[in-house]
Amino acid sequence: MPEDLADVYRSTYRSLVRFLYRKVWDAERAEDLAQEAFARALVHKPDNARGWLFVVAANMARDDARKAARERRHLTLLKAEPGAGSKELDEEIDADTQRTQVRAALDQLTPRDREALLLWDAGMSYDEIATQTGLARGAIGTTLSRARRRLVEAYDAGSEGQHVARG
Amino acid sequence: MQEVRGNMSHVDDGTLHAYLDGELPPVERARLEGHVAECAACRNRLEEERALIERAIGLLGLAQPPERAAPPLHQLRRPSVVWRLRVPVAWAATVVLALGLGYYAGDRAPMSPAPEPVSMRSADSSAAGAAQPVDRLGYMSTPAPRLARTPPRAQSPVPPETRPLAAGERKEAERDRTTVDEASVVTGRDSIFGAAAASGVVTIRPRDTGAANVAPAPTAPTARAALPQRALEEVTTSNAIVQRDDARRALVATQWPIIRRGPARQILGAEPMGVPGLAVRNIRRSPTGEVVLVEQAIDSVTVIQLFQQRVEIDRYRSRSVAADSLTTERLARFIGGVRVEIAGPLSVDSLNRLLEQVKPIGP
Repeated sequence: MPEDLADVYRSTYRSLVRFLYRKVWDAERAEDLAQEAFARALVHKPDNARGWLFVVAANMARDDARKAARERRHLTLLKAEPGAGSKELDEEIDADTQRTQVRAALDQLTPRDREALLLWDAGMSYDEIATQTGLARGAIGTTLSRARRRLVEAYDAGSEGQHVARG
Repeated sequence: MQEVRGNMSHVDDGTLHAYLDGELPPVERARLEGHVAECAACRNRLEEERALIERAIGLLGLAQPPERAAPPLHQLRRPSVVWRLRVPVAWAATVVLALGLGYYAGDRAPMSPAPEPVSMRSADSSAAGAAQPVDRLGYMSTPAPRLARTPPRAQSPVPPETRPLAAGERKEAERDRTTVDEASVVTGRDSIFGAAAASGVVTIRPRDTGAANVAPAPTAPTARAALPQRALEEVTTSNAIVQRDDARRALVATQWPIIRRGPARQILGAEPMGVPGLAVRNIRRSPTGEVVLVEQAIDSVTVIQLFQQRVEIDRYRSRSVAADSLTTERLARFIGGVRVEIAGPLSVDSLNRLLEQVKPIGP
C-alpha cells in the first residue's frame, strides 16, 4: 500500500466521515462510505488522494441518497419540548433536535454553498475547494461568507420559529 | 480574490472571510490589515464576521457523527466486498453466527439464540433441584446453577457499555420483574434477553472448561445459603444479567447501530413492528444482527423500545424446553413470525396497552 495513502488515511478519515455524515445523516453509513472510498483508493492509487477521496465520497453519498430516497420514506424525527424526565434522554433528545435543526438549516443552502462549507469544515483549503467545486479560487471567500450567514440565519429562524431579518 | 482597494474603500465579506480563514495571499493580507487599522467600520465588521464563522463552526459541530476509531487501512480491502454483499447476505450471516457461534454471541451481546435443548435440560434439572423462593432474589430465579457455573469473567471482559448494577438498581430490577411476572398478558415465558442470559450462564463454553472454580452443581437450597456474599456479587455483576437489566433501562440498546427500514425488514423477514401513530425515533439492530429495536417517542421524554426478533421453529422448541426455568423479562407478543418485546419507562398496564396496538409499520 502506498505510504502516502496511509498518511492521508490517518489525517483525513475522520474529516471524510464528518463530510459524509452531513450528507447521509447516518453515522454508520458515513463510516461505511468513507471506508469504501479508501478501499477504492487502495486499488486506484490516485495522485491527489485527498481530493480524489472527497470527489468519490461525494458521488457515493449522492448515489446513496438517491437509492435511499427510493427505498424508504423519511423517519420522523422527534421534536423536543422541555419537560421533566431522565436526564440522559433529555440530552439525547436535545442533541437530536439540534442535529435536525442544523440539517434543516444546511438544506436551505444552495448545493454549491453547502458543498463549499462542508469541504471547508472537512479541512480543505481554498485551493482544494476551488478544485473540487469548479469555483474560482477568488470566489471561495464570498461563497463561504454567504454559506455561513445563511446557515446561521436558517438555524436561528428554525429554532425560534420565526425569521430573523438580517442584512 | 476580491480586491482591497487601498484605504479609501471598505473590505467586502468574501475578503474578510478569506482573511479570517488564513487564506488571503500576503500582499492582500497586508493591505487589508492596513485598512482595518484605520477604519473602525471595517474593524467592527471583521469582528462580526469572526463571530459568524465561529457560530457556523459551532452549528456544524452540533451535527457531528460519534467519534469512533478508524479500522486499520489494510483491512479496508474487505469492506468493498462486504459492501456489495452486505444486504443480501447480512441476515444469512447472522443465522450462521447464531447457529455456530452462539456461545460467543451469548457472551458479547444481550441478544443471542437460545441454547441447545441439551444444555437447557441440564439447567432444568438443577433448577428443579433447587427450591423455589424466587422472589427473595427476584432476578435470580435459577440461582443455584448460575452461581455454580458462572466462573469469574476474567477471560470474557464485560463490554464497555455494560456496568455493574448499583444496589438500588438491583432492587428496581427485582420489583419490575415481579410486576411483569404477575401480568397475565405474557405469551412467551422467556424473553429474548432471558434466552441470552441462559446461554451465557448454562451453556458450557470451551473457555470455561479450564476454570478451576466451576463448582459441582449444588443439590439443595443449602448450597445457595452456604455461598458467600462475594459469590452473590459475582452473579449480580455477571455479564448476562447486567446486560439484560441495562437493556430494560434502555442504556445498552442505545449503543446499537442505527439501521434503516430495509435492513430491519431483512432481519425480521417482515416489516418492523411499531405502535401506529407514534414517531419512530430510531431503528437499531443488535450487535449480532439478529434483533431489531424500534424506538418510538410518546412525548419528548418518554421513549418506548420494541425489541423484535424473527422466531424460528427450532427456537420454539428450545423455548418450550426452557420455559420452566426462565423468568419473564418483559411483556411480549408474537406477531406473524416475529416476537416483539416492549420496554419503556411506563407502567405495566400502559406498556401492555401499547403492546396490543403494535403492528407492522411500513410504507
